Amino acid sequence: MASEAQFDAALDLLRRLSPLEVSDNLNAITTLVPDLTEDLLSSVDQPLTSARCKKTGRDYLLCDYNRDGDSYRSPWSNEFDPPLDDATYPSDRVRKMEVEANTAFDVYRQMYYEGGTGSVYLWDLDDGFAGVVLLKKSMAKDAGWDSIHVFEVDERRGSGRTCHYKLTSTVILHLGREGESVGSLKLAGSMTRQVEADLVVENVGGQGKDGGHVCNIGRLVEDMEGKMRNMLQEVYFGKAKDVVGDLRSVAALTGVNQERQAQRDVISSMGGK
Amino acid sequence: MGSTVDIASAFVQGAPPGELQEVVKDIRGLTADDDPALIAKLKPAFERYNEEQLTSVKLPGSNDYVLISKYNKLPSSSSSSRYYDTQSSTSFEFDHTTSKASATQSYTHETQHTALIQSILKSLAGHFADHYPPTTAAAYTVCATPDDDKHIAVLVSTTKASPKNFLSGRWRSVFLYDPSAGTLSGETKIDVHYYEDGNVALTTGKKFDAVSVGGAADGAAIVRKIAVIENQYQEEVNRTIVGMNETSFRHLRRQLPVTRQKVEWEKVKGYSLGSDLKGEAKR
Repeated sequence: MASEAQFDAALDLLRRLSPLEVSDNLNAITTLVPDLTEDLLSSVDQPLTSARCKKTGRDYLLCDYNRDGDSYRSPWSNEFDPPLDDATYPSDRVRKMEVEANTAFDVYRQMYYEGGTGSVYLWDLDDGFAGVVLLKKSMAKDAGWDSIHVFEVDERRGSGRTCHYKLTSTVILHLGREGESVGSLKLAGSMTRQVEADLVVENVGGQGKDGGHVCNIGRLVEDMEGKMRNMLQEVYFGKAKDVVGDLRSVAALTGVNQERQAQRDVISSMGGK
Repeated sequence: MGSTVDIASAFVQGAPPGELQEVVKDIRGLTADDDPALIAKLKPAFERYNEEQLTSVKLPGSNDYVLISKYNKLPSSSSSSRYYDTQSSTSFEFDHTTSKASATQSYTHETQHTALIQSILKSLAGHFADHYPPTTAAAYTVCATPDDDKHIAVLVSTTKASPKNFLSGRWRSVFLYDPSAGTLSGETKIDVHYYEDGNVALTTGKKFDAVSVGGAADGAAIVRKIAVIENQYQEEVNRTIVGMNETSFRHLRRQLPVTRQKVEWEKVKGYSLGSDLKGEAKR
């Protein structure tokens, strides 16, 4: 059995090594400590891949949550590919919400991403249900965005009209340029944030409260993604550039210092008069 | 996948600037007590890492940093590695496993380029003060290429490590001056790592091939050319980062939908029928 200390060391290592090689690093770690494989695969986010639904012809995203063995469930057809004899499906109620959520987030995806691929998967919990909203957009080879929003809805926790929602969101953002003047430049990585909230569940549409859950999840994800977009912008294009400037100054520092001294001299001579 | 030593060595090679000790700690934690001698077996990996990263280290009893590279390495018969620093005319032992320098000695390197090396070093000191603000650790050196004595290596490295702010960065420049052709070849690399609730890395590198120095081809001219090359590169990196924000990033995900309003989730089913998705419809 792998210990908790080993798991923590693995996560810390993955936080330090190149974010462009998460998959290779995961393989290396699990070769060293095979017992960590399952825990790491379910807690480390990797860029998403997609498959085409054989029944509807629509693309859907693959993750640990729609996987059963080597098969993946399409959110459009609710069928596993390759087919499974004894697969686990969401309950009827949760599957209905899943269909609703996929329709809603398809609109969301078109409005914010103007393209890309999206999928929502839900599953039953003892005290409610949980799910994951996945969104992905790539542009050629040099830019890619992957959103992974995992949420839990606790229907027993809360007061009367409210339910307890917990959301953990990760955005993986890769950008790169190759060229004569800049050589090779890669700006890549991921950030994760969490939020919890007690929200009123309204009756919305034909599914009543379940329609309200989809709206609440929609708003939670929309707010979180907006905040994370701002954060990513600040870190990728603000902080990274600032650190480069901390390492080396394009303007000659002695010149800068001489100018400051000259300014001080002028100011002090004016003050003296 | 290879042996434990191979895998751990690859982790060492991947350590971000200033975070080698943290990576080593993780390797220890991960492998638990499987092989207490593992860290000792990683010495070749540490050596390669320190030489490639142009790691800088303080000599005992000194406040100045000196730099580790394959260019200022001395042949050594013992298991330890020896390097020399031209400016202070010293050689020192460097323990790659503990990253500590010791056993300093007076040392002057035999080379046909002594005069030019001294001239470059003099100009480089000014260049270094001009363009490299004080950071966590920084060093430069100038030395003849060890095997053939044909080229002069000009090396600069500066590291910022700020664990409190979850960030680190390193700038490395390696230039080889060819006195017979009067040209500079080399590579400049910048790495930045940010790791608060995430893992974001900027990795850049550009190679320069046979750039003519021109002029008197003395130390001042060579360092002037290096400053121009470095400045152009840094400005291009800044431009590229700004450009990625304005183009790629914006095209991946909008800040707000075309409607300039957030999604009305209660009415989301009606959206596709109306004109709310103009942006999508136009495509």
